[in-house]
Amino acid sequence: MTMRTISHQNPETLRLIINRRPIEAACSPRTSLLDFLRQEAQLTGTHAGCEHGVCGACTVQVDGVAIRSCLTLAHDVQGATITTVEGLSASGALTDLQQAFSRHHALQCGFCTPGFLMVAEDLLRTTPQPSEEEIRIAVSANLCRCTGYVGIVQAIAEVAQQRAENPTGQETQHA
Amino acid sequence: MLREKRGDVRILSGGQTLLPSMGMRVSEPASLIALSGIKELSLLRQAGKSIEVGAMVRQAVLEDALKARVVRHPVLEAILPWVAHRPIRQRGTVCGSIAHADPSAELPLALLALQGSVTAASAGGSREIAARDLFTGPVQTSLRDDEIIVTARFPLLAPTDRIGFAEFGYRHGDFAVVSVLVIARETSTIFAFGGIDDTPVRIEIPTALADCDLQTQLTTLAARQTVRTDPTASADFRRHLMTRLGRRACLQALGPAQIHHDARQ
Repeated sequence: MTMRTISHQNPETLRLIINRRPIEAACSPRTSLLDFLRQEAQLTGTHAGCEHGVCGACTVQVDGVAIRSCLTLAHDVQGATITTVEGLSASGALTDLQQAFSRHHALQCGFCTPGFLMVAEDLLRTTPQPSEEEIRIAVSANLCRCTGYVGIVQAIAEVAQQRAENPTGQETQHA
Repeated sequence: MLREKRGDVRILSGGQTLLPSMGMRVSEPASLIALSGIKELSLLRQAGKSIEVGAMVRQAVLEDALKARVVRHPVLEAILPWVAHRPIRQRGTVCGSIAHADPSAELPLALLALQGSVTAASAGGSREIAARDLFTGPVQTSLRDDEIIVTARFPLLAPTDRIGFAEFGYRHGDFAVVSVLVIARETSTIFAFGGIDDTPVRIEIPTALADCDLQTQLTTLAARQTVRTDPTASADFRRHLMTRLGRRACLQALGPAQIHHDARQ
């Protein structure tokens, strides 16, 4: 086992694959994954809310698993594959989940939305056919301060059903 | 390195408590030692009469292993959904939560209730610490500055054991104001309470749960315990929760027949 030491004097290069693109940058040991995404990778769709793990606005996927990017040091995920809200769709078109959020008025100011989309995709990955209670427990990880949760729960339930009927329809074009 | 720097260095496993406390400057270590690169610490298995959980096993990994029946433990299965939220469990580790020793946290409560233990290792060797000797105060353990927890051991239940768990917090996933774990054995009953004092509390009474007068038993337990008052709840409210949640946990442990019987009374 080799031990690597990263310090301010020795800001080791961080290598990540973010939204299907490799990125390399010098990164100080104290940088959170959230700050790295927003400031180095210039991906500002991931939002900094409470910055202590309560609100979930900063949720991203690391190797396919949703985590709080504010509670993760960038260097602690060296070599990982990251997906942010900008990478949910490869083509740039809105995904079925994003369209459902729009249809069900599951957002108002939109600040919390990237985090909710990440938590919803994480739920649908582990539990493709969630009950309403399971959806509510999953979204209880995140806070929305303006719209409330009814539209969010409805949007996720609808997408779960759509995907069960049409498993290839995740990245649909605009209607 | 732990020995050289004493106290000025912290171990980083999942970081779900350490990073927010560093963000708030409650903790200001000069160095962190990240365990995430050490593959040997991701061991999760049933060994003898315990479930062994390595230092880098994330809470969600244990949760999923229980769901998939790779390992079986009704107590762990009951408590894990109450540990923070899924995105935090996907990063936070089982041993990290135990090492942090928050008196309202579910994993230390389960370890103590089951009379589990941890293996603490340092450059000088390793030793086994029983849960009752590990938790010494609010976020305080008997670990030395140069030791880390490498494995936690949760003893299996007997086939005849029945369990119940109930918790009250202001939001699902927030800190428990009070949590109660009940393990009903053939000839004794274990009550474990989280959130009421500086450490989790384990009380074993030499009576089978089915033979207990629940109301009297729980009221007596709550009255005898030292219970804290803090901005989230008064001691009186916590005692009330101990009896109400305790009753709920007992009814779960007794099973549906008893719930019906109890409801008629």
